Amino acid sequence: MTLETEVEALRKVPLFHGIDETKLRLLAFISDRTEYPAGERLCSQGEEGDCAFIILAGDADVLVHTPEGEKKVAQVSENSIVGEIAILCDVPRTATLVAANNMDVLTVSKDDFLKLLKEFPDISLEVMRTLALRLERTTRDLADARRGAAGG
Amino acid sequence: MEKSLFSFIWKYSARQQIYILLVTVLSYPVVYVLLELPKLIVNDAVQGDNFPRSILGFDFDQVPYLLLLCFTFLGLVVVSNGLKFYLNVFKGRLGERMLRRLRFELFQRVLRFRLPHFRKVSSGEIIPMITSEVEDVGGFIGEAFALPAYQGGMLVVQIGFIFMQDPLLGLAAISSYPIQGYVIPYLQKRVVLLSRQRVRNIRVIADKVGESITGVAEIHANDAAAWHSADISERLYENFRIRYEIFNRKFLIKFLNNFMNQLTPFFFYLIGGYLVIEGNLSIGALLAVIAAYKDLAGPWKELLSYYQMTADVSVKYQTVVENFDPPDIHELDRLTSDEKAELSGDLKFDNVSFSGGAAGQEVMEISLTVAAGTACAIAGPDGSGRSEVLQLAAGLVSPSSGKICIGDHDLDKLTDSTLGREIAYVGGAVHVWTGTIRDNLYYGLRHRPLILPERDGEALKQYKRRVSEAKETRNPLYDLEAVWDDLEAAGADSIHTLDEKALELLEAVGLDKDIYRLGLQSRFDPSMDDTFAGKILNVRKNLADRILHEPALEGLVELWHPDRFNASANLADNLFFAVPSDPEITMDQVPEMEEVRAFLTETGLDEKLRKVGLKIAETMLELFSNVSGDSGLLGAYSFITQEEIPEFERIVRIAKSTQQRPGLSDADKSRLRGLAFKLVPARHRLGIMTDELRDEIIAARKRFLDSVVKHNPGFVAFDPDVYLPPLTIEDNLLFGRARVDRRDARRRIDDVIRTIVEETGLRRPIIYAGFGYHVGVSGSRLSAGQRRRIALVRGLLKNAKITILDDIATGTTEDDKALRRGLQEILSGKTFLFGTSNAEIAAEFDQRFVLDQGRISDKG
Repeated sequence: MTLETEVEALRKVPLFHGIDETKLRLLAFISDRTEYPAGERLCSQGEEGDCAFIILAGDADVLVHTPEGEKKVAQVSENSIVGEIAILCDVPRTATLVAANNMDVLTVSKDDFLKLLKEFPDISLEVMRTLALRLERTTRDLADARRGAAGG
Repeated sequence: MEKSLFSFIWKYSARQQIYILLVTVLSYPVVYVLLELPKLIVNDAVQGDNFPRSILGFDFDQVPYLLLLCFTFLGLVVVSNGLKFYLNVFKGRLGERMLRRLRFELFQRVLRFRLPHFRKVSSGEIIPMITSEVEDVGGFIGEAFALPAYQGGMLVVQIGFIFMQDPLLGLAAISSYPIQGYVIPYLQKRVVLLSRQRVRNIRVIADKVGESITGVAEIHANDAAAWHSADISERLYENFRIRYEIFNRKFLIKFLNNFMNQLTPFFFYLIGGYLVIEGNLSIGALLAVIAAYKDLAGPWKELLSYYQMTADVSVKYQTVVENFDPPDIHELDRLTSDEKAELSGDLKFDNVSFSGGAAGQEVMEISLTVAAGTACAIAGPDGSGRSEVLQLAAGLVSPSSGKICIGDHDLDKLTDSTLGREIAYVGGAVHVWTGTIRDNLYYGLRHRPLILPERDGEALKQYKRRVSEAKETRNPLYDLEAVWDDLEAAGADSIHTLDEKALELLEAVGLDKDIYRLGLQSRFDPSMDDTFAGKILNVRKNLADRILHEPALEGLVELWHPDRFNASANLADNLFFAVPSDPEITMDQVPEMEEVRAFLTETGLDEKLRKVGLKIAETMLELFSNVSGDSGLLGAYSFITQEEIPEFERIVRIAKSTQQRPGLSDADKSRLRGLAFKLVPARHRLGIMTDELRDEIIAARKRFLDSVVKHNPGFVAFDPDVYLPPLTIEDNLLFGRARVDRRDARRRIDDVIRTIVEETGLRRPIIYAGFGYHVGVSGSRLSAGQRRRIALVRGLLKNAKITILDDIATGTTEDDKALRRGLQEILSGKTFLFGTSNAEIAAEFDQRFVLDQGRISDKG
């Protein structure tokens, strides 16, 4: 497992889409590579988040609190980024992540990512563009949903 | 103390001074004969006739006569120089002894100062007085009486000789003395005054420098460096001015003296010449007189410089001694007495007043009684007289009027031996001594040497010499190497029970966890206690077992295994698989050791590591060369720092270039190698660590073990079955590395270690190992809270009848409340005074006195 494979994985993450290769290498280098055996928690709902997880291998269950206890609502797998909102602003984790099988995860900490943004403003632009696109899509979805609701 | 230097010298060395004088006088005839013999040899033996000469009934011809005289001369040279040597050594030894006596006396006087006196003096001024300022006194003491006697005698003899030739010429010879005798002391007096000024000024400089060092953070925080620089510069100018003036006067004195001395021959030629012309004096006599006068100059010069030196040294002595003689100094007995009175009974203040010399430090007409064996809070804000009352109760300061008694004993009449053993006082400003935690905990039990060490042979001889020197100089005879810990006073019967007691108290004040952590970080010598080492090895095995079999722990640690590569450890650890026996040598320094370098070159690893280092350097430059230094990215993650980047750019450029010159220097090579050694494969995923390299390192590890580690006592090999003294206890327990690629591995494994340590009863020995932790200068390696707690345990460990705490454990947290309850419990049945500024905390005590502006405003 080397930096190269990590860079490959990072490139597939939409948030880092427009960032050039050398900077992705730097991001990979300063991030921690962590293994999680099946059943270990990556993070818990409600706690302060300070990092994003990029799944290099394996799958994780997404659990949320319900009155009947924790309930699995989704599964995330290879090449997905989870908890990325936490590295941009202070919000509590909205769900719990538990490794479904043996996982290999790249952990990007908030401090490091912010340092990187400060160092290379063009990365900020790329991230902003991605977020704006996402916002636009969400807004449209919301509008569609409302229209649907009004019509229905 | 003796006010003048000469009374000090005479009082303590009269016998030796007389002895020096006698030996000096004894050497007189030898010197005289030594001066006469050459004349005899030339005039009589070489140029004489009418041989043989008859001496003591033997007849000598010319040549034997010459031989006899010459050998006598040789013998006398030996005797006279031998005497001189003996005398110089004797004088030097006397001076050193007197200096030791003086310095010790000064230090002892510092200990006898009353506490309020320390508000007026500073250590910055006291230290140079005891160390450097009295230094000259030592050199002077041996000469104090002998020099003036010897040179004065010479002078008198010569003058007598001139007077015998002609009274008038005699008068002429001494005609300038009255003038010199008047002018020189007059000038010297001014020099003395200046010397005093100079000494005082230097003291102020020393004090200011000391203050700047203690307050250096304040200087920077307030940008006050300019002000302090100006201040010191001003003082230095003052010093220059004074010294310059001293030079002027000193050389003026010299000038006058020389001038006068050369003026006298003028009279000789004038008066003597006139007398010869008139026929009243033979020319031979005149020449003899002039020769004698020349001899006069020597002793006169010596006497003059002696006079100047006396004035100088006397001033130094006086300016020092006057600072050590405050009128209210404690009796010597207070310090040296070893008698202890039982302080049982009620503590009673009877109309006690005290003034600390500033507002808010007074106590006015206080009367109170604390019954023996009860706890009582003394409450009052800072400046209410609370601290003063508590210090009065501890006998640390004396009341200006009124009386403080415990039982029938007036505290003011007791010595340290009672106050310091029967009362435990811990004030707000605690001091932790430079040394180990153990030294500090048992400090309150070290009053006198109790069990003397057994000595024989050379050690005994050395010890006897030490004792006899101490007696010679009125120094104490206490033996520093003896056992000083008073176990009995602490209520312990062996050092083990004392350790246990200390641990109990540490637990009570909540310091045990801290000491445990320090213990884990400390090293211990298994040869002192191999059962402990054995237990640690058991825990190591136990831990390895658990890690292997418990799914929750599995994979959190990579243990050291002789045949496996440890990806969470760096390349150096993996390759050498051993540590230097001297814990001072860090792993970074190992590759530079001679035998290691030889091994690396021999095996060709040198070259390989350099290539690895080069690859790392290239990657680092590629990743970080565009990153600015203040981003914090560099340094924290990279192998190299911002400053090193240009350096490594150069190295990489040279290494990449195809040209032979300039090649890499040895320093460059060692830098590249250094990079390679820092590589931790699990953390730095640079793709450099191939399986091939991994196997190579394992193979090299075995060779290194065989060829270097095995017969080199400078290394200890990693071995799962051996305790490694250079590693900390913690590293010995966990014989491996917490995995860097598992989240919280370190913390989780620490928890496991803690539980195993507790299960196996190792916690205690580890805490005891923590007792050996060195606290740094004045406890600088401990936090303020830790220092206070150590001082508190020190006070409690004394097991004194009366315990006084001021501003200690006065927090409002639950922990502090529990601590206070614990203290009351520990001290139940003993008198306990607790000073606090918080009325709410005072309410926890059954008995209270509230102070306000030096008076009792409320009691309950």
